[in-house]
This record gives sequence, structure tokens and C-alpha cells, in this order.
Amino acid sequence: MKSLGLFLRNPTGLAGSSLLLLVIVAALLAPVLFPGDPLDMATTPFIWPLQDPAFPLGSDSLGRDVLAGIVHGARVSVLIGFASTFVGVVIGTLVGACAGYFGGRLDDLLVRLMEVFQTFPPFLLIIVLVSIAEPSVATITAAIGIVSWPTVARLVRAEFRSLRERDFVLAARGLGYGAARIVFLEILPNAAAPIIVTTSVMVATAILNESALSFLGLGDPNLVSWGSMIGAGRDQLRTAWYLVALPGAALVITVLSLNLFGDGLNDALNPRARGR
Amino acid sequence: MTLTRRQTVVGLGMVSAAGARAATPRQGGTLTLMIEPEPTSLVCFNTTGGPIIAVSSKVTEGLLTYDFDLTPRPELATEWQISEDNLRYTFRLRPGVKWHDGGEFTSADVAFSIALAKQSHPRGRNTFSNVTEISTPDKLTAVLVLSHPAPYLLYALAGGETPIVPRHIYEGTQADANPNNNAPIGTGPYRFREWVRGSHAVYVRNPDYWDKPRPYIDTLVVRFIPDASARVAALETGDVDLAAEIPLSELARLGSLPTLGIEYRGFEYTPGTTRIEFNLDHPALRDLRVRQAIAYAINRKVVLQTAWYGYGLEAPSPVSPLLPKFYDASVESYPFDLAKAERLLDEAGYKRGPDGVRLRLTHDYFPYGDGYRRVADYLKPALAKIGIAVTIRSQDFAAWLKRIYTDRDFEFTNHVMTNVFDPTVGLQRYFHSAGYRKSVPFTNAAHYSNPEVDRLLEAAAVEADPQRRHDQLDAFQQIVSRDLPGVNLVSVRQSTVYNRRVVDFTTGATGISGNLAGVYLTS
Repeated sequence: MKSLGLFLRNPTGLAGSSLLLLVIVAALLAPVLFPGDPLDMATTPFIWPLQDPAFPLGSDSLGRDVLAGIVHGARVSVLIGFASTFVGVVIGTLVGACAGYFGGRLDDLLVRLMEVFQTFPPFLLIIVLVSIAEPSVATITAAIGIVSWPTVARLVRAEFRSLRERDFVLAARGLGYGAARIVFLEILPNAAAPIIVTTSVMVATAILNESALSFLGLGDPNLVSWGSMIGAGRDQLRTAWYLVALPGAALVITVLSLNLFGDGLNDALNPRARGR
Repeated sequence: MTLTRRQTVVGLGMVSAAGARAATPRQGGTLTLMIEPEPTSLVCFNTTGGPIIAVSSKVTEGLLTYDFDLTPRPELATEWQISEDNLRYTFRLRPGVKWHDGGEFTSADVAFSIALAKQSHPRGRNTFSNVTEISTPDKLTAVLVLSHPAPYLLYALAGGETPIVPRHIYEGTQADANPNNNAPIGTGPYRFREWVRGSHAVYVRNPDYWDKPRPYIDTLVVRFIPDASARVAALETGDVDLAAEIPLSELARLGSLPTLGIEYRGFEYTPGTTRIEFNLDHPALRDLRVRQAIAYAINRKVVLQTAWYGYGLEAPSPVSPLLPKFYDASVESYPFDLAKAERLLDEAGYKRGPDGVRLRLTHDYFPYGDGYRRVADYLKPALAKIGIAVTIRSQDFAAWLKRIYTDRDFEFTNHVMTNVFDPTVGLQRYFHSAGYRKSVPFTNAAHYSNPEVDRLLEAAAVEADPQRRHDQLDAFQQIVSRDLPGVNLVSVRQSTVYNRRVVDFTTGATGISGNLAGVYLTS
């Protein structure tokens, strides 16, 4: 509660969370605000923003409504951003907790596994995974999640290694608690703060990765995403720059809001940063 | 042997001029040509890949070259005669032609090259399949003896289609692995200097070229620039003088610049038709009414304007309107009519469900360039209007080829069907039942089979009488348009963007993919 109060008094965190809330609300309300498929050709191609009141942000080269695309694009970004981070955090926490708590051979093995994943350039690995499977929301989510777990795992392992020697853990062992109970109910809550802060940055990275994939034409072709809008508009960059700039701005705002949110959380949850 | 019909041109390679031609071409200078993607070899005897053809032709020439209307003109052959029974082609070769290494060009090179094309070229196997004997009565005469007439053969002799390679370098070697493929020796106007992989290739003027005073320029640089925006920028800054692979969205803007121009001629040798192809083994698409409904729901005008920025012609027939010699404009074109489409689906038993959907189909577009993806983006909402819910599926080029032609795990696709210079050479494999061969790319993926079409195509392949052949090919177009194994959409008009200092780069049907012997720079 003390942390929440701190967070709410932090202007950075507050700005970040309000922007993020706006994006999430847009994502949730997209089907209400813009019913129908945003990929439909709604009007004539290349209407500039503010030219036609019915299409305030204009239309693209196929006559699709840019505003509808941006609002519906928020859905894909938010969905893939949070879902893939969830996948990454779950895998990363499990692996990191096992490695950090049990140590020994298991730790060696799991650390080698993390290193194997970390030696691949992450985006290249995502491309390979998505190309092997077909591009769809599920495969893209899985691919981004699979690539992002080692970061969490390393963090969790380090926390667990230091926490497992603390007195409260020894006490729990002395009381005869099982390993699962100690890991999930004793150590994990005490390791939660850095995981939560990392998570907000991971969501931002995941959104950027999804956009980069769609930009390269490897996104789900049946869904509109900010990346695919930028990718499609790139051809007309010289003649209709707004097709790249508008979804680009949406992307910048969302990623920025997540970073601000993360900074605010860090300030609120980090005991050493308090009272600065 | 009687030689009644003499299709003879004794000439010095007089070809019609492109644009304004100065009285005397200026000598010297460096011309930069852009090719995309980078070729994998510099000699095209075993491939139909466009970039390889474009670089190959500068060094390795053909027997003939072609006017914009595909009339044959002399290149390495000065004169040719076809016997009355159309079974004997006699070529008189140009005297005094030297290979770049100093060797003499003779009929033995021609015999060797045609045998090589018959064995190694994807289209050459069919083009020369009727050739039973290639004789060389003297050093400057080559005679092809055929078992059946081959009415398209005379049109398949361009340097980019049937290149004449040096026998003394290829004989006794494995041609595919010959080092000459990466550092070619030819008879052409330009000699190979170097190939820096990932960047450029350099060619220099051949001072001993047979058509003096050509070539006029000193150096020809071929650059490979993978990024489309960088290609456009290179044209604008003048780094590049000639390019064909330019995004259609930029074409109008480039053409309006004072230094640049756009040439639409020079692609008559390789017209194509973009089209939807159905998998006729699919339970719903097997029904002609469903295919007709899809045809009626597509507005070709919109496809042309949105997917191809208006560059091209609406193409109802498999034969491209850009191949006017064979194009039949009277085929059923399925004019845009949503009511009719809905009625046909009702009749076929595909009623709208509670969600308004009659049928769900997956579409695999051809992953090459941007246009086919845009066609897919058009098809999804267009077919949703008649209750067909389309899911678009993306994949890379190799995966698409495997899916369509090897696994045949597709429902409908949109791609391009290259006609080239003759329907027998370009189209037969897409519509003849024998063209349904698993694992062979760009064949009859639909699994279309109509004995009458087979008969017409087979007859047209050996029909020497032009009028009768024309009738057979018209009948073929009519039947295929009724049977609808695919919906033909648009013939995309290709173009060359050029710097205005370049003159005479397009003088015939192969444009900048020809030998560029006559090109010169005004500054």
C-alpha cells in the first residue's frame, strides 16, 4: 500500500500509467468504436488526415481507414505484448527459481540452457521460429515468449541465490516446509519487485518485436498491426508520409508509456530509491 | 530440300530506334545498370531467372533478336530459311565473329549450344524437343532437323532464351559447374571484367565487336541494390542510369523528375498474366458455380488500380493482352456482379450461416514483391461481401513453392503466369493435364484436366499454318475461360526507369535485358 501511494505520487509513473490506460481502453473498445474489419476498403485511397471528417486520420493506398487501423492495431499490440510477456515470465520464473534454489548440477544445466538461448540474436530467433510455424497471433506470442524468458530467468536465479540463504528461508526449512512451498510462498514474494519492473520493459520490447515482424511482412496477415501499417506505408513514404508517421506515433507513445510505467514502479518498489 | 518460304533478312542489325536519336552516337562513358535481385550466375543457359538473363545477354548473345512486334532480326545468324514442310531450319552465321578469348565463332558452337539448351534449359527442353539432329555442313551454316513442326522455335532464339556459349570452354565439362558461368566468355559487345558478390559486376567495351562502331560506351557497371528505397534514391541522385525493378508506388513521382524518364517498351518478349488459381481437388472449389461466384465478385479495375497502381491492362484470358498476336479479347470476362455471385453460391448450396458466412477459404499469395500481397488484401474484403470468409496465409518463397506444387496443400492462390513469346512455350504447362506434375514449380497446380484443351494445345504445338494455329489457341482460351481453373486478373505493364542522358537502351522486345550494344550517353 505504501508502494502504491509512492507510485501515485510519482509524476513519471502517473504519466506512464495514464497513457497506457488510454491504449488499453482503445484496444478494448476497438470493436465498439470501429465495428467491422479494419482491413476492409472503406473509401477511396490516399485521403489525407483532416481532409474528410468521416476518416479523420485519412486512408491508405488500398482505401483502408487509418484511424480504425490504429485502434484495432492497439488490440494486437496489447494482446501480443502482454501474452508473450506472460509466457516469458512464467518460463523464466520457473527455470530461474529451480536453478537458483536447488543449485548444483541442475543450476549448471539450466544456466547452460539460458546461455544457448542468449547466444542467438533474439530477433533472428523470432523470425526463424515464426517462419517455421505459420505467422499467427499464437505462434508470434510463443516465439517472442520463448526468446524473452532467459532475461527473467537470470534475474530470478540471482534473487533466489541470495534469498535462499536468508534466515526466514532457513526457518521455513526448519519447520519442514516442502521445496515448492518455500519457493513459491516464501522466496518468490520477496523476489517479486525486480520481476515486476522487468515485466513492464518486456511488454514494451515484445510490442516492438511484434511490430518489427509485421513490418517485415511476417505478422499475421489477417490482422492489422502498427508494424504492418508502417510496412505497407513504407512504399509511399515520399508521397504519403502520414501512413508511416501515424502508426509510428502510436507505437512510440505505447512503448514510452510502458517505460515510464516501469520507471515509476522501480522508484516505488526499490527500497534504496525511496526518499530520493 | 526446297526453300520456298524464305524468311530472310540480310542485314547489318538494323533495328528500329527508341526515342530521339542523335545523328552520331557519342563514344565513351560509364553506364550503370541496376539489376534486382543479384543473379546467382552470369550465363543463362540453364535458367529462366530474369536477373541472370539480364546480365548474361551483355556477353553471351543469341542467334536472333526481336523487334517490338516480335519480328526476328539478325544477331549471330544473318540469314535463316525454313523448309516448306517446316522440318528443317537452316541458319547462315555471321562471319568474322570472335569469342572474347580470341577463338573463332563457328557453327559448332551453335550446334553445341542448342544441344545444351535442349538438355539444360527449363523451357529449352520443350522448345527443342522436336529437334532430332543438328548438322553443321560448314563453319558458317547450322541446320536443325525436326521430327514435327515447332511454330514457336524461331522466336526462342534470343540471347536470353537460348544463349550461344563457347563450345571450346564447355565441351567435356559439367556445364552447370563450369567456371565460365561466373566469369563468362562470349561474342557480345561487353567483356566481363569482375563480379564483386553483393555489390556489382563490371563489363568493359569489346573493341573487336562484330557490329562496329558499337558498342559506344567504355564501361558497363551492373549494380545490385536489395533495398527498394535505396534503388529509388540511386536513380534520383544519378548513381544509376537504368533500372527495371522499381516500386510501382514511386513510378509516377520518378517519371515527373526532369532527369528521369520511363520507358514501357522492351518487355514484349516476356508478358505475363496475374491470376487466381484454384485447387480443383478442394470439395467446394471443385464446383464450377463457386468458382464463377468468386470470378463475379472480383472487380479487375479495382485490382489494377489498388494492387498495381494502374500500371497494366485488365486480363480476362490466360493469354496476356500484351501478347496481341495470340490474345483473344472475346473470352468470358465475368463482369463484376455481386448479385449474380450470391445467386450462384445459393444454387451451389452454400447458404449464409448465422454469422453471414457461406464458406471459409484460405488464400496463399505469391510471396514475390508487394503486389500479390496487395491482391490478397483486396480479395479478403471483396469475397467477404458474398459471404466467403478468407484467411490470408503468409510464407516465404520456398515454402510457397512447396505448398502449391509439391504438397498441393492449398485452396486458392494468386500469382503470375509468364506467357513469354508464345502460348505453347509459356502456357501449355499450366493447362495441359500432363502439366499436373507434383514438385515441378509453375505448372498445373489446379489439377485441371480437359481432354479437348489437351488436344488443342497439342495440335497448336505442331501446327505450322498460322491461321489454323491461331484458331486453335482462340478455342483453347475460350474453353479455359469457361472451365475457370483460375480467374485471370491483370497483365502488369513492366517499365524501365532511365536517366535522360541514356539513349537507345530499348531497341527491341527484350529492352534492357538485351545486349545493349547500341546504347550511348549524351553526357
